[in-house]
Amino acid sequence: MIGVAGERRSRRWALLGLLSAFTLVMLVPVLWGFLTSIKTPVDAFAMPPKLVFTPTFEFHYRLWFKEGFGKSLLDSAVISLAVVGISVPIGTMAAYALSRVRTRATRGILVGLLVMRMLPNMLLAIPYFVMAKDLNLYDTYAAIILVLVATNQPFTIWLMRSFFLEVPTELDEAARIDGANEWQIFLRVALPVVRPGLVVTALFSLLLAYNEFLLALVLTGTNVKPLPVAIASYGAEDLSYWSISAAGAIGIMLPIVLFMTLTQRHMVRGLTSGAVK
Amino acid sequence: MHWQSALRRFLIPSLLLLALVKLYPLGLSVYLSFFDYYLPEPERRAFIGFGNYGALLSEGRFWASFANTLIIAAAALALEFAVGLAVALGLYRLPVGAARVLTVLIFLPNIVTPVVAGLFLRWMFASQWGLIAMTFALLGLPSVDWLGNPVWAKVTIALADSWQQIPFVVLVLYAGLQALDRDTIEAAVIDGASGWKLLWYVILPALRPVILFVLTIRIMDLFRLFDAIYVLTGGGPGTATETLTFYTYRLAFQFLEIGKGSALGVLTMLVITASIGGLILLLYRRERGAF
Repeated sequence: MIGVAGERRSRRWALLGLLSAFTLVMLVPVLWGFLTSIKTPVDAFAMPPKLVFTPTFEFHYRLWFKEGFGKSLLDSAVISLAVVGISVPIGTMAAYALSRVRTRATRGILVGLLVMRMLPNMLLAIPYFVMAKDLNLYDTYAAIILVLVATNQPFTIWLMRSFFLEVPTELDEAARIDGANEWQIFLRVALPVVRPGLVVTALFSLLLAYNEFLLALVLTGTNVKPLPVAIASYGAEDLSYWSISAAGAIGIMLPIVLFMTLTQRHMVRGLTSGAVK
Repeated sequence: MHWQSALRRFLIPSLLLLALVKLYPLGLSVYLSFFDYYLPEPERRAFIGFGNYGALLSEGRFWASFANTLIIAAAALALEFAVGLAVALGLYRLPVGAARVLTVLIFLPNIVTPVVAGLFLRWMFASQWGLIAMTFALLGLPSVDWLGNPVWAKVTIALADSWQQIPFVVLVLYAGLQALDRDTIEAAVIDGASGWKLLWYVILPALRPVILFVLTIRIMDLFRLFDAIYVLTGGGPGTATETLTFYTYRLAFQFLEIGKGSALGVLTMLVITASIGGLILLLYRRERGAF
């Protein structure tokens, strides 16, 4: 028996070792990008790769203060916060209604939302571009914000609805008997209960808006230039720009790492809503 | 039922926005797909019926981009699912604490901005100065032109997508495994099932809804893969990594052929719908215990 237990334990250690190695491999590109961002080009292109070198934060400094990335950070912040500020309230209201009214129409809307989630962004990018030009909204905050709010609606509604479904309807009915109207029930009874869900939804919407590239590429570019568009246009072919675009890559990633530490406990819920119930 | 009609008003802002910013543009792109519309010369715009569709279906470049899409998507999907399942099963056998730490770390690539992920991978795959090329050179392995060779460039795009998406597959399958009824698995073990048999006849069938979910999401997203291609290969070398989505981008935003680009977008949507419909039929056809 001891032999069997010992064998099991050693197999478990082997498994842990294997999975740790896999994790490390998955993290190598990020670590390598970070090293590139704090190396001078001479060190970055040394052969064999230099692991011991004098780190420099010159490129990080230059990028944010001299190369206009500060403005892009502002653009990204304005867009992401506006998207969350509009998308989450209207999506949450719709989700509440869809969780409380159960008719054929409700089901139709929910399926319709899934289909919209399926539409390729590239298909819609063309009419968006044409419309933005016609309405003189091209290269403005308004265009990209509206488009991202709409893109984010299906996700927000489905996720918030799953949280509202867990709130017992007895709570609503008790409030209704006390004479509260639907708006009051929504604000004072249902919303406080789903606050953790609201936080998760808001953070995921923020991430979606912050990471979006294609729609931003098509709808912005000069006056407005969110971070993904800025870094993609950045001297990609030129070796001398490696250090500085690596600094950009790491800088863009930092808020996301912060995001992840905040939501790590709720991540699964956001990503698998609908799959695991 | 007075309260229900009050609640319907809650839907208005969201549905109004979706109608204006999703449904109307969708209709517009179908409409535009019937026109010969070259953006710099709007006065030349003319209705040509299915002309754009006919032109696309009879040109080699369309079919090549279709083939590229299928090759890249199939390779990435197979790799992501196989590795994702293996890692999820491994994590499932670890103590919960250790598994949680690893899951958080593994998950990092998935939330990196896709464009930034493309850059990270460029510094890995770049010829001569990329980390992989340098490592190959140090080990005396033959050098591979990851981004410049038509075949390897497809492999690189599939690997790049896998780097970002394996974490997603791991996370969802691991969550699915944790939601499984442990008693069912233990009963099967007592009945003598083990290893592959346990996986094939007990675990996979129980995971079917989760697997369907993860494959559906991956197929949808693989068809619209854009950021990684834009950053890593720009569709090249030549048109070796030009997928349906990337060809649509080039048609509409580089060649400014708005009508033809819209037609290609509509065709892409039809292909996606058909693939997902097929997947659902495939996974739900055999309602016996096994897969």
